[in-house]
Amino acid sequence: MPALAKRLDEFQISASVVMTMKGRELAAKGIKVISLASGEPDFLTPPHAIEAAYRAAKEGDTKYPPQDGTRALKEAVRRKFRRDNNLDYALDEILVTNGGKQSIFNALMATCDPGDEVVIPAPYWISYADMAKVAGGRPVPVNCPQNNGFKLRPEDLEAAITPKTKWVMLNFPNNPTGAACSRAEMQALAEVLLRHPHVWVMTDDMYEHLVYDGFEFCTIAEVEPRLRDRTLTVNGASKTYAMTGWRVGFCGGPRALIKGMINMQGQATSGVSTVGQAAAAAALDGPQELVRERAEEYRKRRDLVVEMLNAAPGVNCHKPEGAFYVFPNIAGCLGKTSPGGKRIETDTDFALALLEEKHVAAVQGSAYGMSPYLRISYATDTASLREACARIQEFCKGLA
Amino acid sequence: MKLVADRLDRISPSLTIAMTAKARALKAAGRDVIGLSAGEPDFDTPRNVKDAAIAAIERGETKYTDVAGTLQLRQAVCSRFKADHGVEFKPEEVLVATGGKQVIFDALLATIGPGDEAVIPAPCWVSYPDIVELAEGKPVIVPCGENQGFKMRPEQLEAAITPRTKWLILNNPSNPTGAAYSAEELKALTDVLLRHPDVWVFTDDIYNKLAYGGFRPATVLEVEPRLRDRTVTMNGCSKAYAMTGWRIGYAAAPVQLIKAMDKLQSQSTSNTSSVSQAAAVEALTGPQDSIDTMREAYQRRRDLVVEMLNAAPGLRCHKPEGAFYVFPSMQGCVGKASAGGARIETDEDFCNALLEEAGVACVHGTAFMFPGHFRISYATSDSVLTEACGRIQKFCAGLR
Repeated sequence: MPALAKRLDEFQISASVVMTMKGRELAAKGIKVISLASGEPDFLTPPHAIEAAYRAAKEGDTKYPPQDGTRALKEAVRRKFRRDNNLDYALDEILVTNGGKQSIFNALMATCDPGDEVVIPAPYWISYADMAKVAGGRPVPVNCPQNNGFKLRPEDLEAAITPKTKWVMLNFPNNPTGAACSRAEMQALAEVLLRHPHVWVMTDDMYEHLVYDGFEFCTIAEVEPRLRDRTLTVNGASKTYAMTGWRVGFCGGPRALIKGMINMQGQATSGVSTVGQAAAAAALDGPQELVRERAEEYRKRRDLVVEMLNAAPGVNCHKPEGAFYVFPNIAGCLGKTSPGGKRIETDTDFALALLEEKHVAAVQGSAYGMSPYLRISYATDTASLREACARIQEFCKGLA
Repeated sequence: MKLVADRLDRISPSLTIAMTAKARALKAAGRDVIGLSAGEPDFDTPRNVKDAAIAAIERGETKYTDVAGTLQLRQAVCSRFKADHGVEFKPEEVLVATGGKQVIFDALLATIGPGDEAVIPAPCWVSYPDIVELAEGKPVIVPCGENQGFKMRPEQLEAAITPRTKWLILNNPSNPTGAAYSAEELKALTDVLLRHPDVWVFTDDIYNKLAYGGFRPATVLEVEPRLRDRTVTMNGCSKAYAMTGWRIGYAAAPVQLIKAMDKLQSQSTSNTSSVSQAAAVEALTGPQDSIDTMREAYQRRRDLVVEMLNAAPGLRCHKPEGAFYVFPSMQGCVGKASAGGARIETDEDFCNALLEEAGVACVHGTAFMFPGHFRISYATSDSVLTEACGRIQKFCAGLR
C-alpha cells in the first residue's frame, strides 16, 4: 500500500454514514431497525421530473454534457434564483454540480491555500470542515449554542474573523439543527461581513423550501446585495424535490469564482449526468405545489417528534424553524446506565446503546461539532417516527 | 487576498476546449465546420441500457446509494473483469465514480503529496498531468514517438523511475494516438515494475473494447498477477457503450486504496447518479453485441481515415491498434504557407489554418504534450469523414 496523501489523514468517514451502515448491518440480521440517521427525503421524485428523464434517455440526450451544465438546466436555475430568491445570475455565473456537495468542494478547492481559514457556525454538517481540510484550509468552528437558537450571532461572527479568513459558511435552515435565520438576523450578519471585504460567503440553501409555520426563508445575497460579488449561493434538487440519487446541485456566484470552480470540476468529474440534468430542469420549472404539500407533511412530523422527544426523561428538544432534523439535548441522560448495561458518558455512547438496545439509528451530536446532542432526521413516515420516538422514550426511562 | 488557490494556477487551460470553442464560434457565425475534435462515440446508448434506466426510475431507485456504488453494479463490474480479463475481484475492491475522470482524481488525490512523481508516457490525455499537479505531485513525461508506435519501451520506464516515483499511468489503448499494448509489450513494462516494489500502476483501459483487426489490448493484471497489490484497473461505460452523458467510470484496486478513494469521494460528490448506475448494470451484464457493431464501424472508419490522410502531401499517419483516434504527423507541412496566407510553423498553426480555411476542427498535438502532430477523432459517420479528409487533402495540397 502506498502511503496515503496527508490530505486524506485529516478527516474521517462521516458519522451519519457509519450509523446508517451499522443500522443496515443489524437490519440484515433480521432485526427491525428504524433509521433516523440519514438526511434523505422519504418522498419520491416528482412525476414531471421522471417524465423528463425518460424523454432525455429515449431521445438520446446521453452525450457529454457541457462541464458547467446544460443550457436548459442553467436557464431553469436562473429562473429559480429570480423567482425564489430575487437574485439575477447570468448564465456564466451559474454552475451545475454533482450534488450540492460538489459546489462546496469546488469552491473550497478552487480558493483555499494552506492556512486559509473557513469560519463555520457549529453545529454544522461535518463535510464543511472536512472539505476545508482536504483543500488545505483550516476550519474555524463558531459555537452557536441552543440558547441562541443554534444561530450565529453577529458578535460571534465578528470575533471569528481574522485577516486569514477566506470564507464564512452559512447553512440555514441548518443541518443538523433545523435552525433558520430571519431577515433581520441575516441582515445583522451581513453588517458584520460588510466590514470585512476580504471575506467570502458561502451559503448552503439546500433546505430553503423546508420551513414551517409561515417562516420566511431568506438568503444573504438577496438580503444584502452589496455582498453579491463575494457570495456563492448553493442549492440543489436533492432535498426540495426528493432527488438525492440523481446528484444534481447548482450554485450562483461571481463570474471569476464560477470560472475557477468550472476549472476544478473539469479535473474532478466533468459534467453531471444529462438525464439527471433534464429531470432537475423539469423539477425546477414544473408545478411547485408538491413542495408546499410536502413541507406541510414535514411540519406535522416535526411537531410530533418534538413533542414525543420532550416527553422522554433527560431529553430536551427545541422546535426548529426548518429542514427535516431536530437536535435534542441529552445532557440529562449522561452518567446513567442503560438496561443493557451500557454506561452513557457521551452522546456517542447514547447513540450506540440506542441502536443496539432499541434498534433506532440516530447520529451523535459530536459528529456535528456539538455535544451532548443527537441528530434525528424526521424524513420518514409518521408511523415509523411514532414507533421510533416511543422506543427512545422507553430507552430513556430505562436509564438508571 | 487573491481569490483563486495556487493549485488552480498549476492546471493548464484546456487546449482541447479552446479548439472546440473556436470551432463552435465559427459554426455559430454560419460557417460550414466539421468537428473531429470530440472524444465521444457518435452512436446512441443501446436501447436495453436506456430501458434499464427507465425501469430503475420506475422502481424508485432515485435515492442515495453507497458512495462506492450499488452492490449490484460493483458485482457487475467484477463479472465484467472476470469475463474480459480472467481477473477476479470482490465488490469491496471496486469503486464506481462520476466518469473515469473521477476515478483518476480519487486515486491520485488520495495518494500523491508534494514532490511525489507520476511517470506518464506521452502523447497523453492532458488530464493525467493536470490531476497530478493538482495533487501537488510532479508529472514525469516520457516522450514515446511514432517510431516506437507511440508506446513506452521498458528501458524508458526504467530510466524514468526515481525514489520519488509513486505511479506509472498507462492508457491502453491511448487517447490521442490509438496505440495499444499487446500482452508481450505490456509484460516488458511490468517486468520493470517488479524491480520497483514501491511504484504503483494506474491503467486506464477505457478504450479496451475498441481494438481492430483482431488486436486484443492486454491489461496489467492479466499479464502480471504479482502486481495485483499495487495496480488500479480503470474502465467505464462511456466509450464501449456510448454512455458518455451518463457519467459512469469504475476501478478495481486493493481494498485499502479503494477505501481511501471512497473517503475522498464521500467529501467531493458522494455516489454517482443512481439511475445511471442501474443503466450501467445492464450495459455490463446484458447483451454485448452492440459493441461488435460499433467496433466494425470504427475499424472501417480508421482504415478510411488512415488511407486518405496518407494521401495528403506532408502528412504521415500511422495505423493505430485501437480507440477512435489517429494522430498523424504534420511535420512535412512545417515552413509552408497556406492558400489563405497563414504561415505553418507549428501544429497549432496547422490546426488553426485548417479550421479557418477548410472548416475542419481537430486538436493539435501540443494539447497532448506532443507537438508536430494533430488528433483526429473518427467517431463520426463515414460520409462526414470522407468529406473531412477530402478537405484536409485539399488543404495540404494548397500549402506552398
